[in-house]
This record gives sequence, C-alpha cells and structure tokens, in this order.
Amino acid sequence: MLLSKIKVVGHSMEPTLKQNKIVIVSSIPYLFKKPTIGDIVVLKRQKYIIKRITAIKKEQVFVIGDNKKESTDSRNFGWIKKDSILGKVIHIG
Amino acid sequence: MIRKRIINFLIKYLPGEIAYAHCDIPCGIYDPHAAQVGAHTVIRMTQLLNELKREGETKAEHDIARMTQAKEEHGSLIEDELGTLENDYFKEEHFREYPELKKLIADAVKLSIKTRQTIDMVSAEQLLEAVLKIAEIFYKTKNLEPVRVKSPYPTEREIVVYK
Repeated sequence: MLLSKIKVVGHSMEPTLKQNKIVIVSSIPYLFKKPTIGDIVVLKRQKYIIKRITAIKKEQVFVIGDNKKESTDSRNFGWIKKDSILGKVIHIG
Repeated sequence: MIRKRIINFLIKYLPGEIAYAHCDIPCGIYDPHAAQVGAHTVIRMTQLLNELKREGETKAEHDIARMTQAKEEHGSLIEDELGTLENDYFKEEHFREYPELKKLIADAVKLSIKTRQTIDMVSAEQLLEAVLKIAEIFYKTKNLEPVRVKSPYPTEREIVVYK
C-alpha cells in the first residue's frame, strides 16, 4: 500500500476516526522507520482493518481500537504479524 | 498550503478502499437469515419494478422511488451482514475448510452492488443463490444440517434453514 485513500467503516476507532472518515495511508514511512506504539495502521486480515498499535514484540504487533468498549481487536484475535501491516495513517481528512 | 493542495489532490484522485474499524461487542450472535431476507427483498423489488404499470405518472414515480429505495436499503443490508459474517464470524479454519467461501462472499457483494445499480433479475437471482450457499456453509460450521425450503415470501424462491 504505497499510497491509498481509505474510508473508515465502523466505530472502533472513535473518537479519533469517525465512521466514513477518509484517511491517507502509506507504507513509505515504514521504509525508513519501524512501526511504533501509537501508530494508526491498516492491516490485512480477511479484509482491511484499521487499529492503533499498542504493543510490539519482535515480528508482531498488538493492535487495539481507540473505542475500547466497542472494538474487536488483538484482545480477541491476538498478536498480528508485522507483515500484515499495509501502511500507516499519514493524514486524517 | 502546498501540503494541503497535495492532500486534496490525493483525496480526489487516489483510488478509494475500505478499512473496517470493527464495532461489535463480541457477542457471538451471528445469523445468515437477514442476508437471505435482504436477497429476497431485492428479488421482490426487482419484480415489482419490472411489472410496474404507468397508469398515473406521479403515482408511478412515487412507487418507483419507494421500490428503488427498498432495493437499495436491502442491498446495503446484505453487504453489511456478509461483511459481519466474513470479518467477525468466519475464521481462518472456515475459509480453509470451505475454499469457495471467500469468493462466494466477494461475488455476493459484487452482485448486490449490481442489483442496486440496475433492475436486473438475473443478477438478483444469482445474488440469492450466492447468499443461500453462504448460509449453508454457515450452518455447517455450526455442525447443523442446512436444508433448502420454499420460502413463505411472494418471491416463491427458497430459503436455507437448518434441521
């Protein structure tokens, strides 16, 4: 995902990202710097999901929605391989 | 200023994709029934739109607007319901056990979009068939035996339930 326009569907990233928010996502920042805690990233599972990195270990990341009460995330499906990260949110429209 | 222009350019011209921010409280309650009802409704609205008689211009426009809205809403419902099943219910092992499942869901979503864009009974029939197959797989993953029965709806098509 060199550079993509992504529409957010769902409420798990509220209040940071509301439903239907458009964000620009890119993998370019990760060419120069490793993913860090606090980054909002788009990951590939069965579909694209958007979450925030809250913990990192070796080749895996733990991601959680900002709206913790209403989010299905690593607390449910566990750690995700870093390879699954498609890009970082670089702009919130 | 330049940055803002670049961002506006990107937002305008980059191809759009969707990322899901799952909002479900993991309640474990999933069901393919709503998608099936949605697919039957799409068929029914397509039938009614095809059969519509223009006896009164204003009434016809009014009826077309209502039927199209119902078709649109139920198409969206199908896409939402299938998205929930795909993202929240079906797991990797399900996709391994039923290798056709991923394509079935993708095809159903595409057909749903097509039925919203058109008044096309062939696509509506194909959409229902895809949704029925997904429902059959759903029940199998629950170790239930799916069975197709004639629906009680005026579409007179089938619906999948379990024994």
